[in-house]
Amino acid sequence: MAAEQKLMSVRRDWRERDVRVVLAALVIAVATVATIALFASQLQRTLVTSASSFLAADRQLEAENGRPIPDAWLQEATARGLETGQMVEFSTMVFGGGGFQLVSVKAVSNEYPLRGEIEIQSGPDSPRELVKAGPQPGEVWINPRLLRLLELEIGDSLEVGNLQLTVSGLLIREPDGGFRLSALAPRVMMHKDDVPATGVVQEGSRVEYVYLFAGEESALEGYYEWLRPQLEPSHEWEGVRDGETFSRSLQRAERFLLLGGSLAVLLAAVAVAVASRQYALSQRDTVALLKTLGLNGAGIGRLYLRRLLLWGITGVVGGLVVAIPLFWLLASMLSDVLERPVDIYLDPAALTPALLTALVSLFAFAYPPIRRLRNVPAMRVLRSQPGESGREAWPDMLVAIVAIFGLVWLYAGELALVVSLLGGLVLLLLALGLLGWGLVTVLRRVRGGGNAWRLALVGLYRHRNASLSQIAVFAMTLMLAATLVLVRTSLLNDWQAQLPDDAPNHFLINIAPETVDEVAGFWDEQGQPLEELYPMVRGRLTELNGQPVKEAVSKDERIGALNRELNLTWMESLPEDNEIIEGQWFADGEQNGVSVEAELAGRLGLQLGDELTFTIGSEKVTEVVTSIRTVQWDSMKPNFYMAFPPGGGLEGLPATWITSFYLPPEKKTALNAFSRQFPTVSVLEIDHIISRIQEIVQQVTRAIEAILALILAAALVVMAAVVSATLRDRQREGALLRTLGGRQSLLVRSTMLEFAVLGGFAGLLGVVAAEAAVYALQFRMFEGTFNWHWQVIIPIPLISAVVLSLFGRWQLRPVLSVSPMLLLRRLE
Amino acid sequence: MNQMTKPTPESQPPMLRAKGLTHRVRLETDTLTILQGVNLEINRGESVAIVGRSGSGKTTLLGLLAGLDTPTEGSVELDGATISQLSEDQRAQLRASRVGFVFQSFQLLPALTALENVMLPLELAGIEEPEKRARELLERVGLGERLTHTPRQLSGGEQQRVAIARAFASEPVVLFADEPTGNLDNRTGQAVSDLLMALNREQGTTLVMVTHDEHLAARCARQFHIEAGQLTEPEALGEPVS
Ligand SMILES: Nc1ncnc2c1ncn2[C@@H]1O[C@H](COP(=O)(O)OP(=O)(O)O)[C@@H](O)[C@H]1O
Ligand SMILES: [Mg+2]
Repeated sequence: MAAEQKLMSVRRDWRERDVRVVLAALVIAVATVATIALFASQLQRTLVTSASSFLAADRQLEAENGRPIPDAWLQEATARGLETGQMVEFSTMVFGGGGFQLVSVKAVSNEYPLRGEIEIQSGPDSPRELVKAGPQPGEVWINPRLLRLLELEIGDSLEVGNLQLTVSGLLIREPDGGFRLSALAPRVMMHKDDVPATGVVQEGSRVEYVYLFAGEESALEGYYEWLRPQLEPSHEWEGVRDGETFSRSLQRAERFLLLGGSLAVLLAAVAVAVASRQYALSQRDTVALLKTLGLNGAGIGRLYLRRLLLWGITGVVGGLVVAIPLFWLLASMLSDVLERPVDIYLDPAALTPALLTALVSLFAFAYPPIRRLRNVPAMRVLRSQPGESGREAWPDMLVAIVAIFGLVWLYAGELALVVSLLGGLVLLLLALGLLGWGLVTVLRRVRGGGNAWRLALVGLYRHRNASLSQIAVFAMTLMLAATLVLVRTSLLNDWQAQLPDDAPNHFLINIAPETVDEVAGFWDEQGQPLEELYPMVRGRLTELNGQPVKEAVSKDERIGALNRELNLTWMESLPEDNEIIEGQWFADGEQNGVSVEAELAGRLGLQLGDELTFTIGSEKVTEVVTSIRTVQWDSMKPNFYMAFPPGGGLEGLPATWITSFYLPPEKKTALNAFSRQFPTVSVLEIDHIISRIQEIVQQVTRAIEAILALILAAALVVMAAVVSATLRDRQREGALLRTLGGRQSLLVRSTMLEFAVLGGFAGLLGVVAAEAAVYALQFRMFEGTFNWHWQVIIPIPLISAVVLSLFGRWQLRPVLSVSPMLLLRRLE
Repeated sequence: MNQMTKPTPESQPPMLRAKGLTHRVRLETDTLTILQGVNLEINRGESVAIVGRSGSGKTTLLGLLAGLDTPTEGSVELDGATISQLSEDQRAQLRASRVGFVFQSFQLLPALTALENVMLPLELAGIEEPEKRARELLERVGLGERLTHTPRQLSGGEQQRVAIARAFASEPVVLFADEPTGNLDNRTGQAVSDLLMALNREQGTTLVMVTHDEHLAARCARQFHIEAGQLTEPEALGEPVS
């Protein structure tokens, strides 16, 4: 119908305020969700790349049996389009400068590293540089400590076995400076092709062959599928996410982004819902008029459906127009922060949630009130009919709630998240019901007054319906924003607590029992006291309830911990950061039993009362599991899978002691004196790993803050949309109040107070609901502990009150600056 | 406040006095003169009708007389106070204590019940027990049963009766009515104007009413004609018809 076409011009729509709000909300919805999704995907890629550099590759295959892997395995990888590289690690004595020293050698092929960079210095006082390849054949890079220990200089030669190599650089940091107990002695890096000439590596010597792989994720997965059946127990396949110190932090960051994205979806949907309901209400007269002009209900339905589609397209296009440059901006900021180029990648899959958000917002939120327009009686033209009571909107609400949680679920893939948020919202609605009841019963009694306070309270009562729904939307918005702030705060606090500036960054291993006191004394004197010292016995878990463990546990579960020797210890009291989750810690004087780390227990299916047999050297020790405990793997303190009581199963077995401590960079030279005094004690330097982790945490923190800012901006827009939905009514009222003799100052004060009360209440409700949601989230998603967050509970309601009252003042502007006459004319 | 103290009986100036009122509005291209040199005096307790065609400037004049707007030239004295010398807040104070309004389009707040609408000026004026007073007035205009209804649930005539109750609630000394029956059918309009005149007589209010309804105008003591922004007073008709 031509008339319908005419009625549907976007230009005509644009003249209507409410349509502008719907469109703005849609654009913001699509833009926010798309930006976050794109950025999250980018961040994920970037972080995985930085994380990959921890392996110097995307995956590593370690052969701990001292034999290289078959050539066919590498050929297969190349055939599958993967890049490969090789390393050989072994310990040996080196000679140079008139001294000798046990070192840990890493010999690398030309391709090393596939990911990340090596940090070197060409002399002790030269600047640090990042390079993409190891030393040339004939050259060697050494740890600066070794340079001092052997009193070498750059250009001197170093004897590795039968081979003379030239010291051409200082090795500051390896990209794969992993946390490996084998890397004890000072590091030396040479070329792999030189290894045979040294004559050090022979059949049966302790050598670790490590293979590097990099390429497309799917190719890597496919290759592993192919490789897995052929792997022997001594082969270990390592991906980014397996057992790396910081992978937990990464996972939490990812979840945080998902949470942020979900909240953005929620906020945007609220904005669309509010604006379109307002629009539908404003369209009732038009619809009645169209009906008298002969359009039937179905025609009206079609008319508005088409309009809706048009909006959808406009919203999506507009949203993407905003999102894509914004994403580019964020991505290049990321690249600045990381101080290295980032491949900006526009992930098409990341746009799906944005499109879905637009569709769901339109059809679950905007459509229902608009659909009901077809029922508007034509009679309305002649006589104003009672409007909607709001009761018709209840089924809409249900549809909306189901839709939104479906969307969040789909988006975050976390039922826990959905349930937590839903719980928070239910609590919010309950509190609102209570508040509504209170508002009506208490405020009903407040009457009259040239007094701004009383007028404000009367105003609240007068607008009780609008007030309550505004409080509902504000509270919800604030709840979502506060949830995010709280989760961010606890996330960051967690990280900082985990890795304080003085987190232990050196391990001492292999301390003989009789030198324990001397070692501790040495570092006390340096003013760098040691953390708790633990005895350590190495052994394998060989039997489970009398059955060989390899039979008792399915092949898939034959994880690293079973292939390697485990670090066993005995201790009297539970370390502070461990937590018993099942069973009981050893009673005083108890000598039986073993306490197992929770994750390992889970993977092996160990229960309290299971009997474990360990093979330690030639001895067998059998104990019953008496407790299962969690461990902070990233605490940078010694951690143990298995702990025995003092005088228990490990009694009498030869043990060495292990500990960690913090050593600031300026005291690094003390290590030389220490090594001379205690040549048998191994020092494991992990200070570079720690600073790298701290760097990553900082990057993630910045990214999270950027996203948080985006979401808070979206929240502000929602609030603006909601308040401006009642703008006309408020201006009319303002004009009338002035006509009836209300003073400007009275009007200003009462409006500001009214909004302040509104904002305060909304803030309080929002924060309490947020606490509830965080309480639930904290346990299920972020593994943290819950505290009341006074630093948020107090300021948010205050800020919300102040901001809203300023906003109210701002809205009043046109009412104050114009003569009441003009206002009345305008509002006719 | 001082400017607004009641004048002493012996001097008794007129309730309303307009001198040389001219009002112009600036349009995009030129200026439009809506009122041109209007002079007018209205005494206490008088009822006055201003009649003219649509667009002749009636509403504009009413707004200036009531102090809702300030004239481009000329001055208005209301109850002894020179409106153009008052600040916006003083004008508001004046309106709150002395002036009532009835509009063609009722101007009730849609979110409020009838009772709350009537209470509004009472609350603004800080009058004690606003609810009691508002109830009485609504009963007086025959809406005692409709206190909790919102404007949407009332017919046009009923809405205008609420507006009249609101106008008289704060016992104004002067009431401005802008085509109070303009949006109503004849019979309803008749009933509304009866009510308006009756309350006016009861309270001894000065009434300034704008209308294009000659019949309604005839019920006022004096009538002015306005045409193209110029005001003329045909010879006085003596006693109003009732
Ligand atoms: N603020 C304004 N801007 C432009 N034109 C105006 C303004 N106020 C009044 N007018 C014009 O002045 C004329 C007189 O208006 P009004 O006083 O409302 O007339 P009446 O009430 O007699 O119908 C009309 O033509 C109106 O359009
Ligand atoms: Mg008029």
